[in-house]
Amino acid sequence: MPRFNALGFGFLAPALIVVALFFLAPVILTVFFAFTNMSTSTGITGGDYLLSQSDLRGVKASGVSDETYDALENAGYLVDDAGLARLAEARDQATADELAALHSGAKFDARRDMERALKDLRDNRIRSTRDRKALAELFKTSVMDERFGSEAAFRTALDGVGIPQADQDILVKEAYTGWVWTTENMKLLFSLDSSYRYAMNTVIYVTLTLGFNVGFGLFLAISTFYLSPGMAATFRTIWFLPRILPPVLYVLMWKWFTWDTGFLATITGYLGIAPRNWMLDTATNAWVVVILINGFVGASLGMILFSSAIKAIPSSMLYASEVDGANRWQQVRYIILPQLRWPILFTTSYQTLSLLTSFEYILLSTDGGPGRATEVWALAAYHTALNNYGGNLQYGFGAAYALILVIIGIAASLLYLRFFNFKELVTKPRIEG
Amino acid sequence: MQLRLENFTKKFDNLTVIDQLNLTVESGEMMALLGPSGCGKSTTLFTICGIHRMNGGTLHFGDRDVSNLPSQQRNVGVVFQNYALYPHMNIRDNIAFPLRVQKLDNATIAKKVAEIAELVHIPELLDRKPAQLSGGQQQRVALARALVRKPDVLLLDEPLANLDAKLRLEMRSEIRRIQLETGITAILVTHDQVEAMSMCDRIALMKGGKIVQLSEPDQMYNDPVDTFVAGFLGNPPISFLDAQVNADVFQVGPSQITIADSLRAKVNGAVKLGIRPEYFGPQFGTGITGKISFVETQGREDLYNVTLPDGSVLRSIQAAGPRLKLGDSVNWGISHDHALAFTPDGARI
Repeated sequence: MPRFNALGFGFLAPALIVVALFFLAPVILTVFFAFTNMSTSTGITGGDYLLSQSDLRGVKASGVSDETYDALENAGYLVDDAGLARLAEARDQATADELAALHSGAKFDARRDMERALKDLRDNRIRSTRDRKALAELFKTSVMDERFGSEAAFRTALDGVGIPQADQDILVKEAYTGWVWTTENMKLLFSLDSSYRYAMNTVIYVTLTLGFNVGFGLFLAISTFYLSPGMAATFRTIWFLPRILPPVLYVLMWKWFTWDTGFLATITGYLGIAPRNWMLDTATNAWVVVILINGFVGASLGMILFSSAIKAIPSSMLYASEVDGANRWQQVRYIILPQLRWPILFTTSYQTLSLLTSFEYILLSTDGGPGRATEVWALAAYHTALNNYGGNLQYGFGAAYALILVIIGIAASLLYLRFFNFKELVTKPRIEG
Repeated sequence: MQLRLENFTKKFDNLTVIDQLNLTVESGEMMALLGPSGCGKSTTLFTICGIHRMNGGTLHFGDRDVSNLPSQQRNVGVVFQNYALYPHMNIRDNIAFPLRVQKLDNATIAKKVAEIAELVHIPELLDRKPAQLSGGQQQRVALARALVRKPDVLLLDEPLANLDAKLRLEMRSEIRRIQLETGITAILVTHDQVEAMSMCDRIALMKGGKIVQLSEPDQMYNDPVDTFVAGFLGNPPISFLDAQVNADVFQVGPSQITIADSLRAKVNGAVKLGIRPEYFGPQFGTGITGKISFVETQGREDLYNVTLPDGSVLRSIQAAGPRLKLGDSVNWGISHDHALAFTPDGARI
């Protein structure tokens, strides 16, 4: 019944579009970017052809002939017909003719000499030094520092200064300013010490935050379970605030709390401790703050999940444990905690993934500081690709960082899918006498 | 061990559920708390085990005053309606749990669990999980867990309500057997009069937070204190007729029923007569005429409703015989010695 299939597909379409737009497309783009050298200087579209002085070093290393290198490096000024024509156009024919009469065919190594040649003009004197400088450039025979819009134009110019065809290919490649495909990003990533430090930071961040999340979430869920319903609701609402506050506001409050003129510094000031920025004072402080900031947000989710899981335990089971003689601690240890096994595992795995990729609270609070002490992998990707202090945003290299996270994320998801075998989770109730 | 509940009062917020209730369960006795939903029987049970706190009165197990003890220290065993087995533990750990929390050594625990498993006939199930057991087996596990630490009192909250009819019959006798073998003082909360009558030494029939009658099952059946007790016990239930005392007879419409000798001096004026279905039928002669308005055959017995000319209905249960049809006219008699007389507002005469 194709009609019904189409209908089903129609119902699925919004979900498919969302998956394609917000999951597949970013993943594909990340993979794509990771194998390019895109950056602010290359742009993300095609580029021009430009040989700069700094490129010359690369040119020498890439094995062009010495003659070519000389031609490029020691390019001079030649009074030829083309140059004279340009001069005629810039000034007038008389000037060009006079220069041709004086210096036709002359070659100068430096611009200063060319300028001197222009000074020789008597009938059509060029009085301004600035003008002479500018006009001297008209006779330049070099292709250096000149921007060409296309490969063909660049090659024509190379022909013009007599670069052999064999060397032209190398020069074209060196002079290209747009992005190219490359595997350099990955090699660089694995060769940098900082990569390993960021990886280590990420492990610390995820482990400690997760421990805090789950532990504190459990504590809140269990302790509020034993409170009266009104009190429990109040406490849960309070502990839910970090999650519903806008992150910027929430982190701003933490900043105010830890500033050197903030709450903490003021309080400790009374105890005779010199005021300091409690967040960024030392790496340890920064870690504690980062983990608390993320931990309180995460704990609220655990609290809600665990609370509802505890409520799902039949009250008669808790009564039974009490009349069996179990005290509160034994009730928690032997009856409640074992039945929270799945919610705990679920929260742990879910939050592992989200913590791996989340960096907004770190960005807003320490921004990876002090130094790079709290720079985690995802933040490094962001900094490299989108907020580089140097100003050259390395999209390609940043994407390479992100690609590692994508790979870990997908691998972990597949692992969890296997691990959380839902068929086993939902045991069939046995309805019989 | 004797259980003594004195002047027990229980309030939920401002609502008094049970007011000044007194109940004594003798040592080794099995007492039923019987009554309709909301009569306070489960509240009483949960108070005895300490899940609910008392708002007034005292509770003694023997000489020990447990009124203000938390349930952990009362030493009671409870079997809940849904058994409340711990789903994450196997049967052995479930039964061992009350001993485990007392931090007994493993050898003692293993020995006691084995003993109790033997008593309730489940030694082969110890390594299973609760979800792998049938309802009857879970019931036995719950009993074992309640009994394993030798509680002073065993409390059973509607223990048979979740079982099918056949298992209910089996577990009825099993629970009684285990109670008798252990000699434990037990309280059974139920709304099923058959359970109460078949399993217990005495029944406390409750209504609206009060004990209406406390007596042995047959006495309660034959000698109810009011129409509520008479109507609650017996299946099919008793029928009530409005009657006038007229010299030596109760006048019910055109029919007359002889007044038993024991009643003759006590009755006059308007009375309510209670006739149990087994005391109305052709074997008791004639005198009551009416039309059959309902027939139900139960195999061994037939059950008839007979509508009298004034519209009141009498039930009759008889050994299966010639099948009468709906609308047939009958003229049957009543065993007048067994007719129960009540005042118009329900009290027994």
